[in-house]
Amino acid sequence: MKMSVLIAAGLMAATAATAALAHSGATGIVKERMDGMSAMGDVVKNIAAMMRGDKPYDAAAVRDGATVIASHSGEAMTRLFPEDSGGKPSEARPEIWSDWDTFSTLADRLAVLAEALEGAAENGLMMSGGGRSAGQGMMGAGSTMMDTGSGVMGSGSGMMGSGMMGTGPGMMGPGGALPDPAALAAMPADGVFNMVTQTCSACHTKFRLEKK
Amino acid sequence: MRKTVTVLLAALAFAGAGAAAMAVWPIGRPPDLSALQGNPDRGAYLARMAGCIACHTDVEGGGAPLAGGVALQTDFGTFHSPNLTTDAEYGIGDWTIEEFSKAVRQGVSPEGTPYYPAFPYPFYGMLTDQDVADLWAAFRTVPPVAIPSEPQEMRFPYNFRPGLKLWRGMFLEPKPFEPDPDRSALWNRGRYIVEGPAHCGACHTPRDMFGARQAELRLHGADGLPDGGKSPPITAEHLIEQGWTINTLKYALRSGVLPDGDAFGGSMGEVVRDGTSFLSDEDLTAIATYLLDKD
Repeated sequence: MKMSVLIAAGLMAATAATAALAHSGATGIVKERMDGMSAMGDVVKNIAAMMRGDKPYDAAAVRDGATVIASHSGEAMTRLFPEDSGGKPSEARPEIWSDWDTFSTLADRLAVLAEALEGAAENGLMMSGGGRSAGQGMMGAGSTMMDTGSGVMGSGSGMMGSGMMGTGPGMMGPGGALPDPAALAAMPADGVFNMVTQTCSACHTKFRLEKK
Repeated sequence: MRKTVTVLLAALAFAGAGAAAMAVWPIGRPPDLSALQGNPDRGAYLARMAGCIACHTDVEGGGAPLAGGVALQTDFGTFHSPNLTTDAEYGIGDWTIEEFSKAVRQGVSPEGTPYYPAFPYPFYGMLTDQDVADLWAAFRTVPPVAIPSEPQEMRFPYNFRPGLKLWRGMFLEPKPFEPDPDRSALWNRGRYIVEGPAHCGACHTPRDMFGARQAELRLHGADGLPDGGKSPPITAEHLIEQGWTINTLKYALRSGVLPDGDAFGGSMGEVVRDGTSFLSDEDLTAIATYLLDKD
């Protein structure tokens, strides 16, 4: 009995040590924001498995996960990035501070989308097929690109009409306007989740140092 | 009797003329590209897949689609993607489809100067005539933007553009795509996309000091990408070892989300955002099928 408690305690300590090492010795506010990112990553991992069909869809888990993401985004995220908190072991790029508006807009966008996902969780999946549209084959009905209104080119809608940036996914950072929260919450959960992860990726692309 | 001779002579003459005509009858002519009917929607899809839009649109700076202006810093100097809109003076508005084809598949400008291989024409050599016609049809629908392309800023000796002819002679082996009849249509489609338009090897295959891809290290990952980035290996061995499946790979290319819950950053974030997220389910399946195949 005593032995097993000791072993359990040892294992827990080892796990904690590994987790700490994974973020290579970060402390203080840098560690705090890394932990927040990890917590969001765990949620994304779980929900993404549902989106891929590797796990059954679980509305409650999606809603709870969305709450976790919301709690680490917006102001809760940006307050963890005070000026001069970059440099090793942080993976933050200096552009965060030289382009603070873009960074904070993305953080706010994540908050809006995560809250929308809480509401959309019950809507279930539309089941995304291909590309950014609801998914038809590339030659199918016209073109995948045109369906979302994100087409750059193409005969249909005068090509540049809607702009190539795509209104749909709206990843273009501060430029792309989001639908209002009620409309977002009425969307299928996978659609909103896509917008969440596109925001993550847009922010990583611009503001995170990449390791191999 | 006379009549028979006349008929025979006529027949012979006719046969002779026929034979002569047959002898000079040209066959195997290069297809007349302008005679092909291009599909602009399919071309637009291809422009996404091939990264035309990603590289020739200054998304960050709010530039117009395909108006160029994206800077690419490399060990050889800084490249600036040119204006590809239909503006006749600053874009490609006064080009013919033949000139477009030569530029895209052979890397030669209408003036006969070679393009730097930062423009991945060594991959685009796999495009079919129909692909080129479709792309051209799509490019013709781009509104003109009267912004001049920035000149390339290459370091010596790379700024001596004719030197590229040497490079071409040493490294350029344009190969049209030939499907492997022993493999499935899906696998062949994947190979075409990966090795052709999607030009995965442009970043995932290391280059030598001349900027040529090292064939024996195909898709083994590379350091020193533009802007100092690195790319991971994407060989089947590596992907399988890392636990990737067709399903997770497809999902990552569509959404930017990795199996561990992380989201792509770096240039792969842009590739997904501007390219692979627009691809059809079938094409993503084809890419994943090909990349995860060890043979």
